[in-house]
Amino acid sequence: MKVNEVPQDGDILKGTPVRDVCYALDEEGKYREVISVGWDPKNDAINFAWSAINEETEKIRQDVIAGRLSPLSYHLSRLVMTPEILAQYTGFSRREVKRFCKKPEIFFKLGYDDLSKLASGLSISVEQLISLD
Amino acid sequence: MELEFEHKPAGHCENGVVRNLLKFYGVDMSEAMIFGLGSGIFFSHMPFYKMHGMPVTSFRPLPGDIFTRVTKLLGIKVKKYKFRDQQLAMEKLDEILMKGIPVGVLVGVYHLPYFPREYRFHFNAHNICVIGKDGDEYVVSDPVVIEKCRLSSNALRIVRFAKGTYPPSGRMYYISDIQGMRVLDASMVRKAILKACNRMLRIPLPMFGADGIAYLSRRIRKWERLYGKKGAALNLAQVIRMLEEIGTGGAGFRFMYSAFLQEAADILNNPRIKELSMELTEVGDKWRDFAYHSARFFKQREGEIETYDQIADKLAEIAKREKEIFTKLEREVKIG
Repeated sequence: MKVNEVPQDGDILKGTPVRDVCYALDEEGKYREVISVGWDPKNDAINFAWSAINEETEKIRQDVIAGRLSPLSYHLSRLVMTPEILAQYTGFSRREVKRFCKKPEIFFKLGYDDLSKLASGLSISVEQLISLD
Repeated sequence: MELEFEHKPAGHCENGVVRNLLKFYGVDMSEAMIFGLGSGIFFSHMPFYKMHGMPVTSFRPLPGDIFTRVTKLLGIKVKKYKFRDQQLAMEKLDEILMKGIPVGVLVGVYHLPYFPREYRFHFNAHNICVIGKDGDEYVVSDPVVIEKCRLSSNALRIVRFAKGTYPPSGRMYYISDIQGMRVLDASMVRKAILKACNRMLRIPLPMFGADGIAYLSRRIRKWERLYGKKGAALNLAQVIRMLEEIGTGGAGFRFMYSAFLQEAADILNNPRIKELSMELTEVGDKWRDFAYHSARFFKQREGEIETYDQIADKLAEIAKREKEIFTKLEREVKIG
């Protein structure tokens, strides 16, 4: 890659302080460091991963509205959390977290302390956790 | 308080932390040289080791390896810690920082507040350097950020104890004694290159080194059958993200190692190594070509339709070229 070929596709990084440092050849064939704000194929890969997550989240949202799943499962999906990782953050077992996701009736019977544990594991408020915001 | 610490962004987080740390102690080295001395070039594709439910593809050694190798070669003494207790991890950090010592810490990026939302996956092998504390706020030097940034002590604690695949467990490291440091010489460069070649060529498992690239190529041919159309595209997107995303960078690493080989050629006084640097640059361009063509699968651009076999062919070619280059490099360095 030559210095003038270093991509500057700022789709994702533009508004953030994060940048890539690329190594590219100058006219004399020596390597130089060049700061880049991103590259489209990479942005596409990231956006594609997110579009799959968003699609899945929307499906789960419909299931929550229909009462088949709890709002917790919606937030897990939206925040790219897994029952396993949330279990590690909150001290619940993975099985319990899964049950809170799949059984709305159990989830809505949880006390405030348990809900706030789950909420803080997701860095959201209890009000958010029990709703679809 | 804030240490007089020169923050310079880098292509790879661990290189960046190590370079900036060495600079703090008056040792001036390029990121490429750090990367080379740390034998940082690598490849692995591990279907049995998952992140977000998909196989991990990695272009780097384990976190901490570069720091360990570089300081060992240079004869610098270091200290490394890992914690179970979060409170203790923060107290120990403060204790060392207050002695005027910058501390490298391993963090997860999921909760890093200054990262773009799109980057917040459970990636737990990011390195930053803590260089100051102001009340409840830490001043940190993150090599992927242009300027120094700030993190509340709570935020720092959370990222140091991120959960998920390969949890950082509060790991931290610093330079404890620079007295016995040796000046960079040809034998160190030679040793580091041989180590990189060894790891690229001789790990007797199919998932690692140049063979690992060929292995990924063979896996890709099966993806559509194994995971369906969408699943295959998601797996490919994951590879491209690991290839290009911050702190990993596959194509970028080929260019960075080429830059190192340019410097190494001068130190070893061997112009053949400069030629190999050019060959590796071409392979870096091939990696970029692979990423560019892969992006069509998830961008659904009109026009050319490609198959996973075509993408896999590109990787097979890369695997072959890297095997040749590292074999030649090894020979060159051994006889030199």
